[in-house]
Amino acid sequence: MSTALSWTELDRSVDDLRAVLRFRGASLDARSRRRLRTGGGVVLLLTLVAIVVPAYVRDAVDQQRVGDFLPILPSLYLGFLFLTILTASASGGGRELVPREQAVAFPVSTTTDHFGALLMAPLNVAWLMQAWGLLGLTAYVLGPSNLWASMLPVLVWLVLATALAQVAGWLLEWVRRGPHGIWIARGITTAFFVALAALIASHRLTDVLDRSPTVRILLAAAWGAGGEWWALARFLLEAVMATAVAVVLGAIPARWALHRTQREELRLESGLHPARPFPGSDLVAMLRVDRAAIWRSVPLRRGLLVLAFMPGLVAFSGHLEWRMIVILPGLVVSGGALLFGVNTWCLDGRGALWRDSLPASPNLAFVSRVVVLYEVLLVSAGLTIVLAALRAGTPTVSEVVALACATIVVAAQVVRASMTWSVRRPFAVDLRSARATPAPPVVMVGYSARLALSTTVTGMVFSGLALLDDWRFTVLLALTMLLWSSYRLARTATAWTKPDVRSRIVATVAS
Amino acid sequence: MQTPRIDVRELWVRFGSVDAVRGIDLQAQAGRATALLGRNGAGKSTTMRVLAGVIPPTSGKVLVDGIDVRRDPLAVKRTIGYCPDVGGLVPRATPWEHLQLAARLRRLDDWEERAQDLLERFDLGAAAHRVTAGFSHGMGRRMSVILACFHRPSVLLLDEPFDGVDPVGVEATLDVVADARARGACVLVSTHLRDLAMQACETALVLRGGSTVASLTAAELVGEEGAVVYRALLD
Repeated sequence: MSTALSWTELDRSVDDLRAVLRFRGASLDARSRRRLRTGGGVVLLLTLVAIVVPAYVRDAVDQQRVGDFLPILPSLYLGFLFLTILTASASGGGRELVPREQAVAFPVSTTTDHFGALLMAPLNVAWLMQAWGLLGLTAYVLGPSNLWASMLPVLVWLVLATALAQVAGWLLEWVRRGPHGIWIARGITTAFFVALAALIASHRLTDVLDRSPTVRILLAAAWGAGGEWWALARFLLEAVMATAVAVVLGAIPARWALHRTQREELRLESGLHPARPFPGSDLVAMLRVDRAAIWRSVPLRRGLLVLAFMPGLVAFSGHLEWRMIVILPGLVVSGGALLFGVNTWCLDGRGALWRDSLPASPNLAFVSRVVVLYEVLLVSAGLTIVLAALRAGTPTVSEVVALACATIVVAAQVVRASMTWSVRRPFAVDLRSARATPAPPVVMVGYSARLALSTTVTGMVFSGLALLDDWRFTVLLALTMLLWSSYRLARTATAWTKPDVRSRIVATVAS
Repeated sequence: MQTPRIDVRELWVRFGSVDAVRGIDLQAQAGRATALLGRNGAGKSTTMRVLAGVIPPTSGKVLVDGIDVRRDPLAVKRTIGYCPDVGGLVPRATPWEHLQLAARLRRLDDWEERAQDLLERFDLGAAAHRVTAGFSHGMGRRMSVILACFHRPSVLLLDEPFDGVDPVGVEATLDVVADARARGACVLVSTHLRDLAMQACETALVLRGGSTVASLTAAELVGEEGAVVYRALLD
């Protein structure tokens, strides 16, 4: 197999990428374009807020916190790389700019696919939240002096880390698609986590992190804040060159990976699933098919495992306090909904027409989907909390109540939003490939931004309530929010039961 | 005269500004098989979806086994067996799980022997416990026909059942239609394949642009002469 990568091919791939983007853009109506512009504006605005607000509020709050954050910033930069690699690996190298079944008729090269995956990488809630976190913390630590210059090294790092993660993601996907690849990939992942656990257990993680090369990013940001322009310029030049090299080199493992057969998908599709006992009720029968649709789908299995363990491991490694842990369930359930929940009827795929022709109340199908979504989100959030709790010490009653309430409330909010979007904007998507997403990329950006905003705000509210001595106020607020989510979910259920609404959804997802 | 099992009067189906079906009339009797013929976009599949209770009619009267589709779609769904034109299978469920779900929702007892028999007749016995995402197009079509007929419905709706299906599957589908007719069921077959439709059905309704253009007997549509007649009706 030739792995030669010529400038001509790179040039052509960039042209093809433009054509693919135009193709995607052409499918947007005026309303969608308006939404896209608004969404982009909101992301930009939030990025500015994430930078400017911490930089200027630091004088108003306890300066002691600056000293707390300063030594951990290089580790957080490294953590961003680690989490981005995990995301790229979980999504089979990277998300698809055009779904495979649509792209099959066009000569889209693997290099174009790689560039598309790179463009798509920031379009998820985890990436955005981490990026905002890094920018905000750096701004907070270094203050408002030459703010733009101190942010440049961090911004370049976000791009470089994403490009490096893409290279690693493709390499792991290449291994995974090779002989015994699934076991080798699992071995690599296990070895990594065992090594991490060993470092934590032997109290050497801090020593290792202190030697992280990402210390240079913090130094460069400090050079920017201090007006040391030459030192800053040299760092930026090196980082930009490294980014260019990573972007170009990523095309090689992308080609290796994409020329191999998707073993894991084929294994799941050709494997046998012995018959289970006859279901005891209609709901159990529905739930069984819905659960199968999730756990036999490669992207959903991988995504849910990553979501369940990744934030928990970060919290475990970072020794997070209970008040910070309260915010984690929001992140996890948002990510879980973005795997399939925002277009939940697509789980039926082309079977939607047949399923809707069965003699069952539409409410039953709705309830089954809500139950499955709830259980997946709550189990993922629960695993995260268990991992995070291992090193968080003994919580107060208020902290336990706040965490439980936050988890249930954000799950309810996300289920409500997911079901509403699923009814309002269904898409025909086959979640077969590890690289598939339940909605087009631009739509996913909007969904992730809105979910991130609502769940983070809710998480922060409950995090604040964890400080109160009287936990009853927390429960009262949680009940109020649950009632509101339930009321809106019931309205969506009513819409779903209308034959004209349901027929539109069914016809769309089955097309 | 016998009451028709399917009685459609002035059926209109509108999607936004597009009229997919424009005033179709259709009557189909128990114990008989009727073909719906026509080009792409003629309104065949939309009509079938309305009869299956999946799409509500915009206007007109649609009775299936005497039940108004608009008023009681759930009762209609209990009556019919439907093979949709596209896919028709949940990608990550196995054929056995499809059958189990249908058996549960249709309150069937002792269904397993018949399900096994149908899977064998359609040459899907070996794939009964594999997820359908890995099925070929023809396998998917055959499985959809099984799902439509295995509960012995009184109205059998087969939309493009022969599309991409091998001779074994075609033969098994023709047997299913013959069995359904023999036990007094009303069968409606929508297809592009005139020859196969005429093997399966006694009468045919030719649709064009969402409207009915002819109602013919199988004898009028078979052979070379039938092809000429059919071709003339399409334009």
